[in-house]
Amino acid sequence: MADTATTPRGEGRAGSSSPPRAEFPADPVLRHVHAVMGTMVSFDVRIGEGEPQRAHVGLARACARLDRADAVFSTWKPNSPMSLLRANAIRLGEAPPELAAVLELCAIARDLSGGWFDPWNLPGGLDPTGLVKGWAADRALDELRAAGVRAAMVSAGGDLASFGGPEPGSPWRIGVRDPWAADRIACVLESPGAVATSGCYERGNHVFDPRSGRAEARCQSATVTGPELWLADALATGLLVAGEAGLALVEAVAGYEACVISGSGSIAMTGSFPVAP
Amino acid sequence: MKRTPIVLAATAAGLATVLGFHTQQMSGSILSGLGKAGTGTTPTGSPSGTSGANTTTTAGSSSTGSSTSSSTPSTTTTTAASGTRTALGADVQYRYGELELQVTVTAGRITNVQPAIDTAFDPRSSQVNSYAEPLLQSQTLQAQSANINGVSGATFTSQAYVQSLQAALDKLGIK
Repeated sequence: MADTATTPRGEGRAGSSSPPRAEFPADPVLRHVHAVMGTMVSFDVRIGEGEPQRAHVGLARACARLDRADAVFSTWKPNSPMSLLRANAIRLGEAPPELAAVLELCAIARDLSGGWFDPWNLPGGLDPTGLVKGWAADRALDELRAAGVRAAMVSAGGDLASFGGPEPGSPWRIGVRDPWAADRIACVLESPGAVATSGCYERGNHVFDPRSGRAEARCQSATVTGPELWLADALATGLLVAGEAGLALVEAVAGYEACVISGSGSIAMTGSFPVAP
Repeated sequence: MKRTPIVLAATAAGLATVLGFHTQQMSGSILSGLGKAGTGTTPTGSPSGTSGANTTTTAGSSSTGSSTSSSTPSTTTTTAASGTRTALGADVQYRYGELELQVTVTAGRITNVQPAIDTAFDPRSSQVNSYAEPLLQSQTLQAQSANINGVSGATFTSQAYVQSLQAALDKLGIK
């Protein structure tokens, strides 16, 4: 573990008479990174006036929800219920109930995306991956909300679910990664609760166009914001395939906004995309 | 260091793996998740993206296929107020060692990021880290200037996390 070496350097700091610990009750922050679902999930929890112990319990439960989602939905684990269902080794009724619940959400997302997101129409068969990570982060956030913390943000490998803000009254500010450079930001937005981005730059072109039947993306990066991450995640997956033409579909979904970054680097967005001032 | 800065140390473990993540055979435990990444079996040494950060992946030729990582996530409680930010994040032990970073905070702003202790335990790691250090420094300063709390982007793998801007935010606790 990284030790916290708060090493005084220089004369002013060395003479400090009030140790930083004295300020701890103000608004303690709890941070955590959890390896799950093939990626890293980062937590930023602002405990506020709540009981720190409850926040820690909430965080543990949030991680357990992610682990559970991984165990149930992983298409990489051959014996996960999702894998067994894909292999027709079990029926939906024999699977854990959240599997049917997620597939219902998939159907909703498929319809709202105009078919650009379609987990049933993929080369490898049924695969809800484009929605599950967002859904799992939503459920993790539920646990933190139930723990009574003032604010929390869960970043599931680049898709973020949050409530509250870093300071009371100020929203979480989220940078959208520059598709061409991991250390650059293309734009900054204020999270309305969920921010999801799809792109081909991290893991190669894994995008499949359910309409043309080809592996094809029509933009470099697609970001969707809205109240819930499961839908933002699914819509972003579809929007990456649809490209700029898909913006109108997202705009038609109440509460959801989107932007796409084209191959030339230009950014197109819906009318109320929450760009930070 | 005239302005009596506060110096924090953060461990940015496994930065070295930025050179390996496109090429190695990813172990099942790492890619056991929901990702549909086809990169797990990608045999090529060329990066799949056009990211400038990735283009140096060919330089290290460190694709040993064995950068198994053991992740021991840990939590740290700190305070949002003042410049006394606490080192953060997952204690991720990678094949190539760890990198200790000194973050200099002056008047509430991060003014410098530099390696403090390089604990890389094989010669190749030193090479690799010398590449990774300026990258993380650039990331950190970028995050600071944009005043962001998180980064949204295409899902990164566990290995790619170490070079992500989100990792810089996590490790340094920038507000």
